[in-house]
Amino acid sequence: MIIATVEGWVEAPLARYVEEARARLALLLHPSGQVVAQAGFTRSTDVMTACALAAAVHATSKELGRQVDGSGFRVLHHGGTDKQLHLAAVDLGRVAYICLTVFDEESSLGLVRMYFGDLCRELAAAAPEQPAKGPSLGLDFERELNHNLSALFGRA
Amino acid sequence: MSLVNYSTREITCKIVYYGPGRSGKTTNLHYIYGQVPEDRKGKMVSLATQTDRTLFFDFLPLDLGSISGFTTKFQLYTVPGQIYYQTTRKLVLQGADGVVFVADSQSRQLAENVESFQDLHENLAEQGIDARTVPLVIQYNKQDLPSELILGKQDLSDALNFRGVPEFSADALHGPGVFETLRSISELVLKRLSSGAGK
Repeated sequence: MIIATVEGWVEAPLARYVEEARARLALLLHPSGQVVAQAGFTRSTDVMTACALAAAVHATSKELGRQVDGSGFRVLHHGGTDKQLHLAAVDLGRVAYICLTVFDEESSLGLVRMYFGDLCRELAAAAPEQPAKGPSLGLDFERELNHNLSALFGRA
Repeated sequence: MSLVNYSTREITCKIVYYGPGRSGKTTNLHYIYGQVPEDRKGKMVSLATQTDRTLFFDFLPLDLGSISGFTTKFQLYTVPGQIYYQTTRKLVLQGADGVVFVADSQSRQLAENVESFQDLHENLAEQGIDARTVPLVIQYNKQDLPSELILGKQDLSDALNFRGVPEFSADALHGPGVFETLRSISELVLKRLSSGAGK
């Protein structure tokens, strides 16, 4: 199983969730569309793109829910031919995330929903009180940035 | 909100290209996509209408390589410029680390530019963000058009750039100004992140 996280405290609960819910993949993302953590098999999935699209779908559902129902929809389920998606909000107080779960015939919506509840509780218990401090970039970062951007555009 | 992964020493930042409809936001991303080597870019995703107007957003992930020991990745988004996509613009703007405002240099588009610029500030304010603190760069696109059709950089600057942010003339279709704009916003975003204000 592939595990990658930006926030270390997310790793164990997410890995456990994927295993217990028998999901193929779970992506935890920030509402801006940035990947926070991934667990499961991602060979055929472009993780960054999947997160950008998942954030868009979630934001749209939330806003649509707010407009037609007065409160935002928090959970969305899509049933495909082989795979299904479960997209839901994870509210941890200080920070809110979105979890995209991909599962197939090895699991079921009921199983995913049950263990998703456990995931939310475990993440809430593990979340740190304070956010981590930002990185300190070296004095020469502007030179490195210019060099890298020039290289990116074939001008180096 | 920039994401920093200390275990893999990786930084990911979100940059949104904002501006009125048909000002050239998607064209900027297309030019960047066309210039960047395959191994330094992800798929470009465009959620567009049948007439190729942006419906939700365009998305282009870029790998800038190592900066100060951090693998630095930028995610470029555009918003739909048409007035009736107001709600969508707000959603795409969520969590932006920096904004490129792409203005249309055509004289007849001046009012649309001003309206869109005000719309940007209102949408930031609605999200509780002080617009003066967000890294912002203004690009005056379509400067390649005949001079009788467009306003010069100084006229556009007088109308839009009251904050005195970095500004660039551009011809996004052919490239001039695209690279300079991206370099400038990248620098502002990383400086802000380094100062601790961007996380």
